[in-house]
Amino acid sequence: MLRYIGKRILLFIPTILIISFVIFFVIQLPPGDYVTSYVASLSAQGEVFTEADIAYLRQSFGLDDPWYVQYFNWMKGIITEGNFGYSFNYGRGVWSVIMDRLGLTMGVSFVILLFQYAVSLPVGIYCANHQYSAGDYIWSFIGFIGTATPNFLLAILVMFWVYKATGQMYLGLFSTEMMQNGMSWQYVPEFLGRCLIPLFVIGTSGTCSIIRTVRAQMLDEQARQYTLTARAKGCSEATITYKYALRSALNPVVSGLAGSLNTIFSGSTVSAIVMNLQIQGPVLLAALKSQDMYLAGTIVMIQAVLVVTGMLLSDIALAWLDPRIRFSERG
Amino acid sequence: MEQDVKKTEQGSNETIIEVKDLRINIKVDEGILTTVRGVNFDIKKGETLGLVGESGCGKSLTSKAILGINDKKCKASGEIIFDADGLGRVNLLDLNPRGKEIRSVRGKQISMIFQEPMVAFSPMYTIGAQINEATLLHITKDKKKAREISLDVMKKVGIANAEKRYDQYPHEFSGGMLQRALIAMALVCNPKLLIADEPTTALDVTIQAQILEIMKELQKDFGMSILFITHDLGVVAGMCDRVAVMYLGRIVEIATAEELYANPQHPYTQGLLGSVHKIGTKNQDKLFSIEGTVPVAMNLPVGCGFYDRCTKRVDGVCNVYDPELTDAGNGHRVACFACTGCPNAKKGGKADE
Repeated sequence: MLRYIGKRILLFIPTILIISFVIFFVIQLPPGDYVTSYVASLSAQGEVFTEADIAYLRQSFGLDDPWYVQYFNWMKGIITEGNFGYSFNYGRGVWSVIMDRLGLTMGVSFVILLFQYAVSLPVGIYCANHQYSAGDYIWSFIGFIGTATPNFLLAILVMFWVYKATGQMYLGLFSTEMMQNGMSWQYVPEFLGRCLIPLFVIGTSGTCSIIRTVRAQMLDEQARQYTLTARAKGCSEATITYKYALRSALNPVVSGLAGSLNTIFSGSTVSAIVMNLQIQGPVLLAALKSQDMYLAGTIVMIQAVLVVTGMLLSDIALAWLDPRIRFSERG
Repeated sequence: MEQDVKKTEQGSNETIIEVKDLRINIKVDEGILTTVRGVNFDIKKGETLGLVGESGCGKSLTSKAILGINDKKCKASGEIIFDADGLGRVNLLDLNPRGKEIRSVRGKQISMIFQEPMVAFSPMYTIGAQINEATLLHITKDKKKAREISLDVMKKVGIANAEKRYDQYPHEFSGGMLQRALIAMALVCNPKLLIADEPTTALDVTIQAQILEIMKELQKDFGMSILFITHDLGVVAGMCDRVAVMYLGRIVEIATAEELYANPQHPYTQGLLGSVHKIGTKNQDKLFSIEGTVPVAMNLPVGCGFYDRCTKRVDGVCNVYDPELTDAGNGHRVACFACTGCPNAKKGGKADE
């Protein structure tokens, strides 16, 4: 097992290198660069740029080198100094921009992830155990609606309803007062209250799809012969459900965790914009729009690292869960 | 297969289990399937009763009804009287299929082995853990003791290197070994009755013989009764004291194994025996086969269920009345109007609606 993990980690490095190369190549593909979009937006406000100004800007940002030289310099900076480059948009290091929002993004996403599993596992099990009951139908209905409704639409609807009901516009996780006075304990209840809407909105679609997965898997497993064997042995229904069926049913759920790590980091972009959440997703979108390439590149690369790590973690979790996988890896 | 089969001593007439007028209906979208239509039999202590019939005749449903482990869609009525430890003589059908009482019977007093050992174990747990589960449920809460008991049974069923095998997973076992493990799991609590639902069907012939041999030996050791379900008449001859032949949810003939083979009465039984290939027969003709197919057990016409396929049918009788099991002497009972042994077969009531 350890050898296997070691091998996987070694494979990491070339994978990430290739990914970073492709990312960088794709990001600089669109015509123009940051200076083009910068000049365009300032010209629109009446500023006048001469050719010399533009050339100077370009040179100072290091944008007049060919893209592969830029890539090489960027990678060199990352590997030798841990310097992820400079964000043109923010006018400071990429890493500090990312760190600004990292804590909040991870906090929010992690709570959402917990919420998803805390709700969907019991509900999925309930639905499987009471197939075709009223409860099953109600949850299936909610599940389909939840999966089918785009999150940003749900966000708008929920904010509208909350506004109608309370007369308060809960935009973002922090109120203006919080921003002005800085965080302190007195704001904690309000902050938590403000978390509820994003939690519900972003959590729903994931929750609903996990409910469907768990329900289908549980039904599958309960139809297996070994549940009959267990029943014939004298096991209680609870043992059959939790010890036998659930453990096998968890396989795809655990595989699904692989993507979650990335979600925790980047958060949900469109919903975050609608709800004005200060998380990572909107930053990436803005960076891509203005060709703030080091920022965009770093965020996408971190996401790639997280996806790969997530897969490794879920593979390890699967091997721990399922002995058949554990043994085939030995070979 | 004429070796030293242990036959019931005439003396032991203690009945272990009695099935009376067992009926099982299954609700499906198209209507109600009457899969088991009034089955009666009993099993004596130490006896092996064979339940023979083709796929879909209701033999598996009958056996699972005894343990109450049929699907929820199956509604069973009738009586299954079993003298259970701690409960006295009970009708197993009266017990809540999810309740404590029936669970104290399952695995402990009546246990079951299944057709496909490869899927009968959960792939997630070691064989030892799964056998041990039965031990821990019914015999002792002491894990060390339970492990010893489980290991002991594993050795008895011929699993070599049991200590090592104990900690292995089902996918590391061969089919034959898994069936041994399944038998070990069924026998670990020393049950009064073992239900074997086609235990050798999924195994190759050499392994089949080994498994049957083990079952016979263990029956001697443990003194249990066996309900042996199969469609393989060759296996029945070697294993069973008595044989019940099922067709379309009914027992059409029941007799001792020798009697049944020597003197089959029901046309269906005759057809079945005629379709067994015998090595050494000079006759190179095609094997006999019964014409037609088993009807779907829904909205069955009145009369005998075998009428359509029967070679000896009597119009005006067989398609009007449903024959009941009637004594044909020698403990041989047949449900047929036309068969030679029982010319005066009682004309039963009209067939069920």
